[in-house]
Amino acid sequence: MSKHNELVDDLVAKLKRRQLVGSSTVSQATLKLLIVVISKNNWSTCNQLVTLVKSVGQRLVQANPTELAVGNIIRRVLHVIREEFREAESTASQNQSEVHSAPLTTSSSMYNLLGETGSTPNDNVQYPSSLRSNIIQEIREIKDELENIYDNIKNQASLQIHSNEIIMTIGRSKTVEEFLKMAAVKRKFQVLVAESAPSYSGQEMALELSKAGIETTVIPDSAVFAVMSRVNKVILGTHAVLANGGLVAISGTHMMAAAAKHHSIPVIVCTGLYKLSPLYPYDDDSFNVTFNPDSVLGFEEGDLIEKVTVTNPYYDYVSPEFVNLFITNQGGHPPSYLYRLIVENYDPNDHTFDL
Amino acid sequence: MAQNFDVVGIYKSLLLNSPELSMPVAAIQSLVELIKHSKATTIAEFMLSIKDASQQLKSSVRNSISLSAGCDLFLRFVTRNSQDVADFETWKKSLIVRGQSFVEKADACRYKIAELGVPFIKDGSVVLIHAHSRVVSLLLQKAAADHKRFKVFVTESSQTQGGIRSAKVLRAAGIPTTIILDAAVGYVIDKVDMVLVGAEGVVENGGLINQIGSYQMAIVAKAANKPFYAVAESSWNDNQYDLPTYNADTLSFQELNVDYDPKTSEDGTIIAASTASSASPSPASSQTALHMKTSEDRASQGSNPLVDYTPPNYITLLFTDLGVLTPSGVSDELIKLYL
Repeated sequence: MSKHNELVDDLVAKLKRRQLVGSSTVSQATLKLLIVVISKNNWSTCNQLVTLVKSVGQRLVQANPTELAVGNIIRRVLHVIREEFREAESTASQNQSEVHSAPLTTSSSMYNLLGETGSTPNDNVQYPSSLRSNIIQEIREIKDELENIYDNIKNQASLQIHSNEIIMTIGRSKTVEEFLKMAAVKRKFQVLVAESAPSYSGQEMALELSKAGIETTVIPDSAVFAVMSRVNKVILGTHAVLANGGLVAISGTHMMAAAAKHHSIPVIVCTGLYKLSPLYPYDDDSFNVTFNPDSVLGFEEGDLIEKVTVTNPYYDYVSPEFVNLFITNQGGHPPSYLYRLIVENYDPNDHTFDL
Repeated sequence: MAQNFDVVGIYKSLLLNSPELSMPVAAIQSLVELIKHSKATTIAEFMLSIKDASQQLKSSVRNSISLSAGCDLFLRFVTRNSQDVADFETWKKSLIVRGQSFVEKADACRYKIAELGVPFIKDGSVVLIHAHSRVVSLLLQKAAADHKRFKVFVTESSQTQGGIRSAKVLRAAGIPTTIILDAAVGYVIDKVDMVLVGAEGVVENGGLINQIGSYQMAIVAKAANKPFYAVAESSWNDNQYDLPTYNADTLSFQELNVDYDPKTSEDGTIIAASTASSASPSPASSQTALHMKTSEDRASQGSNPLVDYTPPNYITLLFTDLGVLTPSGVSDELIKLYL
């Protein structure tokens, strides 16, 4: 068990200190760690491996609960593990005899409950020696998917953005940046970027876009509503997508989405599937963090700072009715369809990492 | 044959002996009892006796929505398995075994659902619930046991007095509970953080059938931008796509009218109003509505349904034994179940 502990400790520390931030970075680091954990440890049954991965997962998630992508990647890996074992079991039982083995129940619907035969899955199945390499192979495929995630998303750009459109966005998102740059190859359009105070990541975004030759305008956050009536589409990036289709995105996103809804302007969210979490927003603050308020009101304003409380929430929760379309690496989906993707990508037993 | 076996009696005594038992589970249990006593020698005779018994059950109670869901579930299960019967007696035995294990597990389901809903109850929140639902009470009791501090408003639900029952149960669990009039939902909505209701049944489009008053609560919640959660167990789901038919066949006979006329009652129910096209009452039938015995009856004459239908767009989330689902997710699961 100790073979991987140092690596886990290292990643846990980095997550805690926020040395590693951003969905994409943390998910790649998590995946790399899991490959080591799975390949360096001894395990022989599905339960052993799932418990092993879950125990690592629990520590990583607790290290920084707002980085939802960590949990998502662990769930994806657990799903792959379960699938591989299931496959190995079914081929094993076919070889043994023609005994019909019921698939492991993935859902406990009432009807399944009635149909259950009460037979226990046999534990003494001989798994083929290729199982380990198969699982690692599958996980490497997830890794490839993560690395090429922007390609699949940006390929849909020319379907969504048309000539002479005015697009609005907020904050800096690598996904949206790639998306817009790709669209600019074929089309000419204008982008309005809200500056996204107090981090001003919108300004960085505008700089990147203008470097790519896109006609870009920076507007103050307070002007979003005023300018919205001229906009054709709002394209947003996000930190995480929750199970009901709600977003956890940079603060200011809710305001922009609400302004868009007021003017009936379509809101499109570009996101990789690794940001899709099976968790629900139990309330609006569930997955929020507050940052150092220095950038909102610095200590040089000493007289004032004594008299007021300053907070700097980093994220917004945007409820699903504000979003019209999600562009993921698997195509475009309306918010109501996301539960389907969750069913396909995660096992219902893995939504929490309780052992 | 089943004639000398009293299914309804068994059902009633089951419910009487264990008030915790839910109606569909009790129905399945009584059908299992029937199988035990069945002397049928052919499958056809056997199936007939089960169908007959579930019909008896359905017509024995006023509000049969969840009961018939249980019966239908069991019937569907028996029918599906009747194709490959090698030995009739062993088949019957296996049906009994499975039915009994179902009854045992069904209870565990309720606990699982309650568990799922607990994180939605936040410290310091105020919850509005409607009438009495076993699973909603269980959910709130669990949340209280988790040391969450929250307040509850419960509607009195004048027809069944379910709210008073709820209040008793919740107060016993140490949850501050206030009973309000059904008409006061709009008044309290600003004070609450979420609305939580149970479910008699869930229809295939993800809509909800529940005790009367749920629909208006959902509308009020939507207007006030408060989440509206429904707690449902999936065996109680109904596969009725065709709501007008549903209304005519099952909902309207629960009317508490003195002189009951299926046609006249239709125009009063909310479902008929919302899906009106096919269920518009003819003028002739409206006239029969006035054909009442006494003037007092005439004054009290009116539609008095027990349940109503809430369309899916008013429901934020449903807590089911399949997990927490959006209405469209429930719809998907139901289609899988009945395919």
